[in-house]
Amino acid sequence: MGNLVEIRDLNVSFSTARGSVRALRDVSFDVPRGRIVGIVGESGSGKSTVIWAMTQLLAENGRVEGGEIRFEDRDILKYDADSLRAFRGAQASIVFQDPMTSQIPVKSYLQQMLDIAYRNRDQSRAEKTEHAIAMMRRVGIPDPEQRIRQFPHQFSGGMRQRTGIAMALLMHPQLLIADEPTTALDVTMEAQVIHLLRELQREFQTTMMVVSHNLGLVAELCDEIVVMYAGEVVERGDIGTVFASPAHPYTRALIDCDPARVLERSRYLPTIPGELPDLRRPPDGCVFVARCPHALARCHSERPRDHAAGEGQSVRCHLFDPTAPQATGMSLPHGQTAATPNRAVESVDAPVLISVRDLHVSYQASGGPRALLPGQKRPSIDVLVDVSLDLRRGETLGLVGESGSGKTTLGRSILGLVPAKSGSVRFEGRELTALGEHAFRPLRQNMAMMFQDPIGSLSPRQTVRSLILEPFDVHRPDAGDRDALAERLADMVNLPRELLSRYPHQLSGGQARRVGVARALALEPQLIIADEPTAGLDVSVQGDVLNLMRALQIERGLTYLIISHNLPVVRHISDRLAIMYLGRIIEQGDCEAIFHHPAHPYTEALVNGIPRPDPTQRRQLVSIEGDVPSVARRPAGCEFHARCRYATDLCRAESPAERPLSDGRTVRCHYPLID
Amino acid sequence: MWSYFCKRLGLSVVIVLCALLALFLLLHLIPGDPVKIALGTRATPEAIARYAEKMHVHEPIYYQFWIYFTQVLSGDLGADVFSNRSVTTIVLEALPSTLILAAVSLFWAALIGIPLGCLSAVRPNSWFDRLTGVLSVATIAIPSFLVSIWSLLVFAVMLKWLPVIGAGDPGDFWDQVSHLILPAFAVGLGWVGYLARMVRASMLEVMNENYIRAARAFGLRERTIVFRYALKVAILPTITLIGIGFSGLLSGTVFAEIIFTRPGVGKLIYDMVMNRNFPVVQGAVLVTTAVYVLITLCADLVVAWLDPRVRDSL
Amino acid sequence: MFATRSDSPTVPARDSSSESWVKLRRLLGNWQGMTGLVLVILFFASALFAPVFATHDPNALDIPARLSGPSLAHFAGTDQLGRDTYSRVLYGGRVALQVAAIGISVSLAFGLLLGMLAGYGPRWLDNALLLFFDVIRSFPTIVMALAAVALLGPSLNLILAIVIVTTIPGYARLVRTSTMALKNTEFILAERALGAGFGRILWRHITPNVIGPMFILAAMDVPVVVTVEAGLSFLGLGVLPPTASWGSILNEGYLLIRETPWPIIAGGIPLVLTTLGFTFLGEALRDIFDPRLGKGR
Repeated sequence: MGNLVEIRDLNVSFSTARGSVRALRDVSFDVPRGRIVGIVGESGSGKSTVIWAMTQLLAENGRVEGGEIRFEDRDILKYDADSLRAFRGAQASIVFQDPMTSQIPVKSYLQQMLDIAYRNRDQSRAEKTEHAIAMMRRVGIPDPEQRIRQFPHQFSGGMRQRTGIAMALLMHPQLLIADEPTTALDVTMEAQVIHLLRELQREFQTTMMVVSHNLGLVAELCDEIVVMYAGEVVERGDIGTVFASPAHPYTRALIDCDPARVLERSRYLPTIPGELPDLRRPPDGCVFVARCPHALARCHSERPRDHAAGEGQSVRCHLFDPTAPQATGMSLPHGQTAATPNRAVESVDAPVLISVRDLHVSYQASGGPRALLPGQKRPSIDVLVDVSLDLRRGETLGLVGESGSGKTTLGRSILGLVPAKSGSVRFEGRELTALGEHAFRPLRQNMAMMFQDPIGSLSPRQTVRSLILEPFDVHRPDAGDRDALAERLADMVNLPRELLSRYPHQLSGGQARRVGVARALALEPQLIIADEPTAGLDVSVQGDVLNLMRALQIERGLTYLIISHNLPVVRHISDRLAIMYLGRIIEQGDCEAIFHHPAHPYTEALVNGIPRPDPTQRRQLVSIEGDVPSVARRPAGCEFHARCRYATDLCRAESPAERPLSDGRTVRCHYPLID
Repeated sequence: MWSYFCKRLGLSVVIVLCALLALFLLLHLIPGDPVKIALGTRATPEAIARYAEKMHVHEPIYYQFWIYFTQVLSGDLGADVFSNRSVTTIVLEALPSTLILAAVSLFWAALIGIPLGCLSAVRPNSWFDRLTGVLSVATIAIPSFLVSIWSLLVFAVMLKWLPVIGAGDPGDFWDQVSHLILPAFAVGLGWVGYLARMVRASMLEVMNENYIRAARAFGLRERTIVFRYALKVAILPTITLIGIGFSGLLSGTVFAEIIFTRPGVGKLIYDMVMNRNFPVVQGAVLVTTAVYVLITLCADLVVAWLDPRVRDSL
Repeated sequence: MFATRSDSPTVPARDSSSESWVKLRRLLGNWQGMTGLVLVILFFASALFAPVFATHDPNALDIPARLSGPSLAHFAGTDQLGRDTYSRVLYGGRVALQVAAIGISVSLAFGLLLGMLAGYGPRWLDNALLLFFDVIRSFPTIVMALAAVALLGPSLNLILAIVIVTTIPGYARLVRTSTMALKNTEFILAERALGAGFGRILWRHITPNVIGPMFILAAMDVPVVVTVEAGLSFLGLGVLPPTASWGSILNEGYLLIRETPWPIIAGGIPLVLTTLGFTFLGEALRDIFDPRLGKGR
């Protein structure tokens, strides 16, 4: 066996306009032959830099300052251009994070794969084509003889990623590197890709390195784990050992933070307070010291060395120094345990705040030249179909769906940002769909929205101060002392006051999200619609934002509509769930009931699709096949039938009506999984 | 693809129609008698009478436009005020010389500019790239009519290497070529820089794309990556630019034709402006606009056909 | 879905004053930007202070000294009427500055307005304005100017009008594209969700984001405008004699090309230096402030 890759004391720096950033510092680890090694870390940890340094494809301003990367006992960093080319693609190949941007749009897949196979000089073109088609078939592309002649834009996201895997495996490399292979995919596709990678790894006896921020993915897929923080490896070891007894305080906190790990629903999520150190001037002591709950005096001044923790487990932490008297690492308790306060409001009896009935939204497609003629109706695409839901005062409704499910459109059309085609939206009994913008404006004080991108949803040329005061400028220009207002709002969301003079791009994601919360809450609205409130945030910051939102809800009796693709996150904060698929709500009801006993097969697939950060509970089955169909080509009958393993002729012919279940849920399925 | 073609063709027709309308209205919106304005003060009474009858100047204005429109559609662009020759014939006689000048200028500019841009982009910030960059900016910054005058001064007047004026003897091919060299140099020079910069910029942009990094990660040869991957994508905006920039090129030929006293549409328009012979100006401007629109259309269609994303989405 | 690329770290700026300072230093440290800045300042200074720098009255005749070469009395020689070419060039710069300053400011204002209307307004207005821009762009500038001059006769105002009409589409399209891109961003949606009005969104949230690239484009348009003025004046279709303009100096020199090269050289050099200066400055500004701004038009 032995090691295929040995990385020793790797140091990488990036030179930026503001100084040199030491992105990797003394990184060392091994990749044993035939094993899958997961490299885990949050943004800024340097996990991707490791693989770009390995393939010598660092960004232009990046430089390897020292160390070696041995592949089959030869240092890759000393390769000349020819051996490097022979190494890339043939001995080590990469599956990229985003198949949308990593495949050239103007070449067909066949051309791309023939280009990769140029080295096989003994093969004829026909043989190379044959081989490429076989590989496409192997990764599960239906009808590969035809589809291989197509271009990337003609493939769906999941198919693109499968083809990306086929291209990476084309030359049967000894090492397969996967860079966030599922991050750009939906939950149901993610499960399929994880399954495929594991299968192929076994079949081709490939060694794999998987880079991911997703602990669940790593737990599902990998044999060993390397945990990185701020450019250093803080812990590495066997996957089971590390998950069962994480040694480094950071690893432990990271695992605690993952909302998918917590099986019991808790209203408050654990977090890691603090921020990443400035990597232009890395701290003298431990990189994690500023955020570590167990920091000792020496942690601030002395850099820890790697110490053995469990079997085959190594950790860079003073707590495990066997020579130190206070080596107490093994018996550390888990981080902050989640408190479980009671519900703020007994929402079942509370009055209905928002009531949506049979809402229909469609977009105009841009038709051909005929569409320019007067009197011609342009084809329209239905984005929301017959959506009905009630939101009671004080409750939290989680709206869950994959991309293209219409969840964001629903949130926006409630606020009148997207015009409704038919149906009604009532706020405290008042019809909103017929209101003009002018009549709507006063109502907007009562209903606020938080948008997906924490930084991108803030006007870039405005200071934080003017951003959080803007609601007053619009609705209450004479609201009093503006400085006092700004400071009060900043304090409310725990935003340091000195940030008030900054611009959005000077904030971290978590800080920008707090500004978004402050803006939404400035006028003390009753309803808040939050679109992906945790998107773009690291796991350790996600909990922070959700806890803040929860605290404010209890304090002010807010009503939340939370839109997310992330079922495990939503589940922890919602009273009720509504699951959307292709513009319809297919299941809706009590959160825990749905999570534990899904009634719709799609909900079941979503729940099963969550990769759990527990290597002892790997799933064998992939319950759902295929991609989400496009809303432009809606399947007949039940829209889910093509991907449903319980589908019958009835499902193919007839669209199911919404029906109530005994526990108060509603579901749109001919054969619900429970009654 | 078909619907795109129809849309694009429709747009081109609309643009030419707008040009037609503008040229017509220009004459009628200026205070004064349109006939006198169009024909100037030196026109003979016969010419004025002919023009007034042909354009139905005593009818309502929309009817006059309809008459003008149907005449243009049937290929009749009017008649020269002084010689009464058909404007269509005059313009068509002048057009080939202008098209040859424009085509030769663009051809040599592309032949040098595109490879320069590629080579610069392959080694950004090398001495070669910096030199190309400075030269490109310099060639873009010097107005083409100044290049014409200065090259006339240096090569024709001072050094006497090349002929000064005219297009050369119609029967003598080499004489024509020698008369083409200086104008083509002057018209094309700015385009060398323009194309070099354009190709370099889009190449650099493409070379930063994820799929180029992916191609490197798959161990493709650098030659393949630069010429068969990056250039294939980067050339698309350049083609569009060449199409659109034809307008600039036509302006360039106007000056070159005047300075080198070379017959062509530009020289024709200038002479007729000086003679206040508006019908010829009107006809020549219309033809120039139509040629320009046609070339832009072709460039757009070529791009649409080369890019599978566009090809499918249309 | 959010895909963070962590392979090339960016360091968030901690305060904005140091950020603009870094950019200014980059402009001055870049030799192209520096050269451009010096040439542009030279252009403004020589035009504004032409009476101070001039050695002669630009229109004073001195027939005995006609067609003389450069000397201490006449730095750049004299023309066929014995007028001092150096002084005429200085005064010619004033015409160029006048056309560039007035033409581009008016065109910027219209471009901003029309572009925002097209980008943020209703679909039909966008289509109508786009067609209008396309039609204007489809007229080759010089040919169109010739047609206009044929009817209206040469004048400085006509040159200004031509410059304004032909440069508006460039600005308007730039503003339209940015506005359309901004219209669908989350921060504009967020403003709408907040209840911010049309005027507030356009003025406070869209304008600050489109104005920067406009000024860079304006700097790069100065050479075009100055060239149009010089070109038309060269053809005798611009400013009327005896007013000096770089174009008319070149025209007189062209007619005397076999007798003396000096007017051609003296009239051309300031034109080249000005276009070069603004191009260098514009490119440097673009590279520093907005690297993704269109490379061609």
